Amino acid sequence: MQSESAAWLTVRGLSKQFGGAQALTAVDLDIHRGEVHGLVGANGAGKSTLIRCLAGVTTPDEGVVTIDGEEVKIAAPRDAEDAGLAFIHQELNLVPHFNAVQNMLLGTKKATRLGLIDWRKSRRKAAEAAERVGVNFSLDRRVDELSVAERWLVMIAKALVRDANMIAMDEPTASLSDNESSQLFDIIRDLASDGVAILYVSHRLDEVLDLSDRITVFRDGKVTDREVRGGLDKRGLVRAIAGREVTAAARVDRGPIVRDTPLFSARNVAAGRMVKDVSFDVYRGEVLGLGGLVGAGRTEVARLAFGADKLDSGSFELEGKPVPPRSVPAAVNAGIGLVPEERRSQGLMLDKSVGWNINVGVLKSLRSVPGLPFMSGAKSRTRALGLIDQLRIKTPGPNQVIGGLSGGNQQKALIARWLRPEMKVLFLDEPSRGVDIGARQEIHDAIRRLADDGVGTVVISSDVEELASLCDRVVVLSEGNVSGELVGDEITENKIIELSYAHTDQGGDE
Amino acid sequence: MNATLTKEKAVTGPEITDRHRRRRLFLVLLSRYGTLVGLAAMIVVFSIRSPTTFLTLPNFLNILNQSSLTAIIAAGLTMTLVVGEFDLSIGYVASFAGLLVVGFIARDSLPVLIGVPLVLLIGAAIGTTSGFLVTKVRINAVIATLGVGTILTGVGFAYSAFPIAAGVPAEFIQISLGKLLVGIPNPIIIMIVVLAILWIILNRTDLGQKMQAVGGNIEAARLSGIRVDRVKIFAFATAGVCAALTGILLSSLLGSGTLAAADGYLLDAFAAVFLGSATLRDGEFHIVGTLVGVLIIAVGFNGLSIFGAPTFFQPIFKGAILVLAVGLSTLARRYAKA
Repeated sequence: MQSESAAWLTVRGLSKQFGGAQALTAVDLDIHRGEVHGLVGANGAGKSTLIRCLAGVTTPDEGVVTIDGEEVKIAAPRDAEDAGLAFIHQELNLVPHFNAVQNMLLGTKKATRLGLIDWRKSRRKAAEAAERVGVNFSLDRRVDELSVAERWLVMIAKALVRDANMIAMDEPTASLSDNESSQLFDIIRDLASDGVAILYVSHRLDEVLDLSDRITVFRDGKVTDREVRGGLDKRGLVRAIAGREVTAAARVDRGPIVRDTPLFSARNVAAGRMVKDVSFDVYRGEVLGLGGLVGAGRTEVARLAFGADKLDSGSFELEGKPVPPRSVPAAVNAGIGLVPEERRSQGLMLDKSVGWNINVGVLKSLRSVPGLPFMSGAKSRTRALGLIDQLRIKTPGPNQVIGGLSGGNQQKALIARWLRPEMKVLFLDEPSRGVDIGARQEIHDAIRRLADDGVGTVVISSDVEELASLCDRVVVLSEGNVSGELVGDEITENKIIELSYAHTDQGGDE
Repeated sequence: MNATLTKEKAVTGPEITDRHRRRRLFLVLLSRYGTLVGLAAMIVVFSIRSPTTFLTLPNFLNILNQSSLTAIIAAGLTMTLVVGEFDLSIGYVASFAGLLVVGFIARDSLPVLIGVPLVLLIGAAIGTTSGFLVTKVRINAVIATLGVGTILTGVGFAYSAFPIAAGVPAEFIQISLGKLLVGIPNPIIIMIVVLAILWIILNRTDLGQKMQAVGGNIEAARLSGIRVDRVKIFAFATAGVCAALTGILLSSLLGSGTLAAADGYLLDAFAAVFLGSATLRDGEFHIVGTLVGVLIIAVGFNGLSIFGAPTFFQPIFKGAILVLAVGLSTLARRYAKA
């Protein structure tokens, strides 16, 4: 089925900017009928933006998409569907209480009789599609009663009902068992031999290498490599994703750090599907990085340490004593803080003032008389002013509504929220996401100063350059396990990426 | 509307932004001060049209006296709305408390000084129950409080089936009819004290700050170490106490415990609180605003009766105010964000 000459779908010069950041730069892509096309790249390299453009969710600034040589305009998801493109995202957009047939036919024109839906006729169409993907469960079952693997089959059948010529799959095996994964691979190969193109997005490079007829590598919003089957091995692919062979990041050496007794430790922590077995130590005065891919379990570990989620097994220790992570207030009282990943939804009260947001975590300490519930306006103001100064938050004053500040200054206010003498360990989840380069530098300076003051700071970042330049030590997670640890000069972007892609299910690479 | 929009777009740069800014400023001002202007306008118009009946000290005291019960129950409701929840049981709680207090004092001959605090405590317990159902059992607040309220109606029915032999003692009547302070009716003083306490809690204590945090961004509040559930339960308990107090005052005013006597306060309270959220602040619930909302409704009703509007006009006015209030507060929020 594969024609080497003319591509079925072509993308030419696709570019997209998000508020000053170039997410995609002049991307070209060819997809042939009946091929499995792997898309790889680090977090934020541009794969998702490309897919979103093809799906009609994001409108590109520039670029042309053609199918069979004719230009198609994809302005809305409907257009993508009409063009024969189907998209299966990780979160599987299914209606939970509908059965499989209803889900497959959702939004399609159903066969009708006397103006009412003719379910028997409609069912036949769904059943045909279900058979192609080898569904062996009743289509009358509600989707929320199906396993994740079965839901994937429903999603693929849903695409086939719509006569899709291309199906894009985002991290399909992320929540499948090995057995289920290999079943899915068989289906993918069958579909491809029937002429359906598969756009396969995954961080699991072994799978990508195994399945793909062609691989396109993204880095920093650009296509940096195109390979055909057999052109690259895993090592080469990692190198292509990382880009620079070795980068001597401008790491700020903070001098020797005494690592004799750990300040805070995670011991064989496990919870849910995301965190399987994570152990690490944090020492007084160091900046520890938690690296890994999105979904490796980094955010989850931080939330566990902070008492925001429940542990299945394992423990956390603070200064040698077990911290029962029962609740967030207990963690806060013990001296643990978390600057959450989603600044706006999890951190800020946007309608309130800067001072208010800075003080909201430590209200009790700002009472005018300890023991009485009344707040001291003077104490609140003094603390806010002091922290605004210390963290160089650019604001007209503590009474400014925080929604009006830049992202970087909002982030500094969230860090300020936790600063008090009792602070011992501070987790910062993606502290410089979405802030400009200047603010990023200031946030890094603030984190280093915190560490200088003896706080154990743990920085979670998907940006390997940030980890390499900021951290004294980096622990890398992969699929819920620790895949390696890098100290001092060992920390390079390449090594972090290599460890991020390490398959840890068989016991880890290190 | 569409035509003007496109026309505006056709005009060149700075002029558009200027006109838009002016329009938005106008809308922000309207939504922030609209209620206050409305209240002032009503007072001025009524005073001019009826200087001898409306514009008199007794009538003003009368308006305040009538508002005080609504203000107390509405202030309690404000607390639950501040933490982002609802309490639809307050009217029923008030009715139930009114029955209960008369029963305790007149039938069981409890002293007023024991009966009244006991009923307030029961109000707190009812509110705590609602809060527990909403936070720990995670029942939607609308359903939980509607359920609690309906159960109370039934319990009240059963309770009132017992004959109340003795009359209500004079000292209970005196709670609402007495004038402890230079001729000001007691309900007004009680209202001022309650509102002051709630205002201080909301604005001057760490508990109040936590309540505002929970209402502002519950996830952020949780991740700041605030015990979100406790804060919410406190808000429900406060609403329960305020509702019970309103019920007690109503019974004292009526001289008896009547079934469903205070049910109607629910709607008045909601109208007042939403009107208040569009006052001075952009769609935020707060005590001073609630008081303004209550006064708007009271002055409006007073005017309606002075000018002899037919009775059917009262529910129309009340319903219209409620819709207008929610509309205004939604607008206020939207234009504050824009």
